[in-house]
Amino acid sequence: METTSSQKNQTIVDRVVTRLLVDPTLGVLALLVLICLLAAFTLPVFLNGSNLYNLVNNSLVVMILAMGMTVVLVSGGIDLSIGTTMALCAGVTAAAMNFGLPLFAALLAALAMGALVGLGNGLLITRLGLPDFIATLAMLGFASGVLYIWTKGVPIIGYMVPEFYIVGGLTPLAGPLTLPMVIALLVALVLGGILGFTRLGTHFFAVGSSKTGAMQSGVRVERVRMQAYIVSGLAAAVAGIIMAGRNTNVPADLGNGYEIQAIAAAVIGGAALSGGRGRILGAILGAITLAAAVNLINLVGVPSSYQKIVIGGILVAAVLANRISAVVSGKVRQRKAMVLEGIPA
Amino acid sequence: MNFPRAASRALSTSGVPIAIALVLVVVIFQIISPVFLTPGSVRDYINNAIPILLLTVGVAIVIVAGGIDLSVGTVAGLSAGTTMWALVSGAPTWTAVLVGVATGLVFGLFNGLMITVFGINDFIVTLATLNIAGGLLIVLTEQVPLQGVTTPGFSDLVYGNFLGVPTGFWIAAVIFALMQFFLIRTVFGRRIFAIGIAPGAANVAGVNVNRVRLGTFVLSGLLAGAAGVLLASRLGAVQAFLGNGYEFIAIAGAVLGGVSLAGGRGSVWAAVAGGLMLATLQQGLRLNGVDPVYFSIVTGLCIVAGVVFDRRIQQLALGSFRKRAKGGPTPPAPVKLQETHLLGTGKQD
Amino acid sequence: MTERPALGADGLLLNVDGISKHYEGVTALDDVGLQVRPAEIHALLGGNGAGKSTLINILSGLTLPDGGTITLSGHQLDLRRASDALGHGINTIHQELSLVPALTTLDNIFLGREVNARFLGMNVKLDRRRMEERVRALAAEFGLSQEDLKLPVGEFGALKKRVVEIVKALAFDTRLLILDEPTSGLEEEERLNLFEHMRRLREKGVSLIWVTHHLEELYGLADSATVFRDGRRVGTVNVSDTTVDDLLGMMFGIAAGEFGSTSSAPALAEVEVESREEVLRLTDVNRSYVLRDISLTVRQGEILGIAGLAGAGRTELARAIMGIDKISSGTVHWNGNPVKFSGSSAAYRKGLAMLPEDRKQLGILPELSVSENISISSLDRVSRLGFVLKSRDEVSQAESYRQRLGIKTADVREKIRNLSGGNQQKAIVARCLNTNPDLLIFDEPTQGIDVSAKVEVHNLIREFVANGGAAIVIASEIGELVELSHRVVIMKKGRLVGSVDNVPHALVSGQFEAVKNRILAMSAGRTES
Repeated sequence: METTSSQKNQTIVDRVVTRLLVDPTLGVLALLVLICLLAAFTLPVFLNGSNLYNLVNNSLVVMILAMGMTVVLVSGGIDLSIGTTMALCAGVTAAAMNFGLPLFAALLAALAMGALVGLGNGLLITRLGLPDFIATLAMLGFASGVLYIWTKGVPIIGYMVPEFYIVGGLTPLAGPLTLPMVIALLVALVLGGILGFTRLGTHFFAVGSSKTGAMQSGVRVERVRMQAYIVSGLAAAVAGIIMAGRNTNVPADLGNGYEIQAIAAAVIGGAALSGGRGRILGAILGAITLAAAVNLINLVGVPSSYQKIVIGGILVAAVLANRISAVVSGKVRQRKAMVLEGIPA
Repeated sequence: MNFPRAASRALSTSGVPIAIALVLVVVIFQIISPVFLTPGSVRDYINNAIPILLLTVGVAIVIVAGGIDLSVGTVAGLSAGTTMWALVSGAPTWTAVLVGVATGLVFGLFNGLMITVFGINDFIVTLATLNIAGGLLIVLTEQVPLQGVTTPGFSDLVYGNFLGVPTGFWIAAVIFALMQFFLIRTVFGRRIFAIGIAPGAANVAGVNVNRVRLGTFVLSGLLAGAAGVLLASRLGAVQAFLGNGYEFIAIAGAVLGGVSLAGGRGSVWAAVAGGLMLATLQQGLRLNGVDPVYFSIVTGLCIVAGVVFDRRIQQLALGSFRKRAKGGPTPPAPVKLQETHLLGTGKQD
Repeated sequence: MTERPALGADGLLLNVDGISKHYEGVTALDDVGLQVRPAEIHALLGGNGAGKSTLINILSGLTLPDGGTITLSGHQLDLRRASDALGHGINTIHQELSLVPALTTLDNIFLGREVNARFLGMNVKLDRRRMEERVRALAAEFGLSQEDLKLPVGEFGALKKRVVEIVKALAFDTRLLILDEPTSGLEEEERLNLFEHMRRLREKGVSLIWVTHHLEELYGLADSATVFRDGRRVGTVNVSDTTVDDLLGMMFGIAAGEFGSTSSAPALAEVEVESREEVLRLTDVNRSYVLRDISLTVRQGEILGIAGLAGAGRTELARAIMGIDKISSGTVHWNGNPVKFSGSSAAYRKGLAMLPEDRKQLGILPELSVSENISISSLDRVSRLGFVLKSRDEVSQAESYRQRLGIKTADVREKIRNLSGGNQQKAIVARCLNTNPDLLIFDEPTQGIDVSAKVEVHNLIREFVANGGAAIVIASEIGELVELSHRVVIMKKGRLVGSVDNVPHALVSGQFEAVKNRILAMSAGRTES
């Protein structure tokens, strides 16, 4: 077999590079380490404990959104409305508190709103046949319109009871641990569990990877896609609750730009825009990497007005890397398949 | 027997339904508030709508080719910014116009190359460039105050007068006519339709799919540049967030005009009619004292309405043909979107 | 399954009656029926486009019929989605693999029918261990190891995927198993293994509907056969009472003996091609994992046939020649000069053209008119300055093709999707001819079109080469290839494994069956290559 010998001839470097390219989670981990090393030599402040702590703490909202986005991407969709939904849910929480509802009722209201928006997205896509990004773009416009009309452009304030400082992570829970960290961990466990160990998770991958295959196997494709959007709506609601606590007021433009950060983080974490690929761990690392990159750039002294450009650039780079990874892993996969069938390359 | 067939054929011609709807809406608004059709008011609202109409046409051409361009709004804003920047730096009007159009061209080229060379999803690339262009305008406005320009001739681009009609109208009309001619009557336009209908089939038929796709993004970039120049000329000052959200209105206008998001169907006139419809709705709402923020909701609803209507028309056209269809459930013809994008363009390895 | 399936009053397991299906004006099924008895293997036969796939899709809940009834064991079924069919015990092995590349073999096998375990008091967690236990023995029988069960299916080649597909269908209790060409691409051993399983299922009381193109396979295995042609049922026979030729006759509507003699072979035999100019020469052309060391030549005035099973690389070769897919090594000579096509447009400019296999997906541009479909590959012929279209010329050009090729449409400005399959195909032929090519590649030129259109398309191909063109014809129906070609080369697993020269001469001397069998043997690889 000439192929096995040629495989042995591959250098270790070759194999490491291939492995990093094929496994996106390893790749993003390597990238994160690289950023940290780079920073350690040039900017010691970066590795300062409090800076790292703040960095992780600040990445939590994007992290939760990115996890929801990952579920949608895995199922072959995309949710551009996730940022606006977050703002809308933050508004619902704040308004419910102001209305005099107890805390848990306010949180439930926010979650219900998130699920409702997700359901709306799902219906637009599966019932009316709109392409995913158009449906969620329309939802973005619709939801932000509702938020503006409702708030009349004035931020919602006056809802910050003491518990809300804990919810937002402004008051730590115990020691350095904040509630948003716990929540993010819980969201990760739940979503990771769903993707990895449940029928629903299997169906998310199936629908994203091959709609025909899933349909022929008896999977209710449309219902599964709808459920993915409900998950991302719920994730947006959780993020919105935290955001309401952290920001101490809810302006109508609270969620602007968060959709692109969530997409960037998910894609850095290895989620494929073509569906069927993505991991919760990847989304977490992706969100931290994104925060680290932005943090580093701020530390270097680039004004914050450049942030939009930086994030746009990172998104392009991430998608490009993802595309290369897909091509390489496709080749590796093909090579394996051919070896298995005894066809020499 | 013949009437429904002819009617469905007419209705499935792109642009006809929206033109009828537009006339209806204008009549309704005129009845509600008789000041609606005064010459001054009509001139103002169309004048305001022209830049977005240009974006609508650009997006429509990209959509006909089976793609999407989300970056047009902020690119137009940035082009307005670079135009003003050139003027502030003392450049003459024609140089400033060139700078503005070139800005759009650069972004169109970048979008097109990323999409065709690297095979990345168009909406992700253009979502990224939406942010990059928007970010660049923020930075630009921080560096240079983009206002107070008195360069002779610049404001005449929009406010000048030729044969009793504002020059902005003439410029827009000429661009629209050129684009319509280009899309419907030229070889390149025919290829745009072909790749929008079925990129794989177009490729097998010898159409250079990537080159045509690149061309549509370049065109959309150029139109965004032109829209930016007209924006700058009309406003006289450029703010940091100029153009944000315009892509949304442009897509809604195109879809409302019957440009199919599935690709391969639509025309420039239809897109313009759709854009005018949105502008008219906005004006009508304004005249009747409705808060302008409702407009974003209206726009969102218009996208949905446009898509739903488009599918109904498709079924109607099919139904009238399918004479021998018996009773029983007939599922709607599956509308294929996006999925065929990478089929057979030869870029997968 | 513990109990025997209850049966209808008629003693049938499945009774399909009066099913029709129309697609956009094309009739796929016209009032067909199918009766399957309990515990029988029922073959479903027919040429391409006969309507078998449509019926299978209807039975597996993927397509809604326009009308008609489906009765299983006396109960009328309402199949609205795949899970309905699966729920009634109707399992299908689809020709197009229904596997999901991103999932592991195990998850694929149980997709839609997962087994759950309790977790935190809820019955939500997948019990992959139990699932694995349930299929391990079956999987091992088909050569799938425990590691294979944990690998994503996307990492397997076509052959192994098909094996997974078979295991997936056999892993569950079934009353009716539908197999759509289950053996295509399988090696002899897996093939026999599958047949053994089919027998065992029948003994257990399961009925099978079996679609195959390899008629020899039927004997000794299938009990009865229903033949479809052009969306209609021709008839149902006992397999043991028939011969392959009888079945072929039913499938194609001609008596068996006429097969070879209908062609205009003698006319072709006159052509002496050895001395003709070489148009295309491939030398050691490779495309990673798809094509391997392909060398061939095509001469002016010659029809070169390419035979091979599905997945042998025939379409891939055509695409590589046209520059649609990249060639990784090897040289292509065009009219004696080395060329490298960067894409299909470059190939068209040099005088190549291609009629693709998948007419619906890659052939027609459904939203454009017939005339626009004809002109798309040669727009410079109907434009001024190579830029501005002259629509009047375009229409009159299409009009002349309509008369010449007999394209049946009231108006060439009608959208092409409203034409029948055969007329669409003629329009695509017109598109190719209009580019005035030196070499025309026909990939499955008669797939899914009716017999009379078939003959017309064949005549167009012959006329094209008679006027000095060169043609490559790819076809699955070997009889068709033998009738048309001057020379046939055979592909298998991306390689050329043999060739038959001077075919017309062999036909004249009455060796139609011999040539056919030789090609068949080489495609299946039963002889040494």
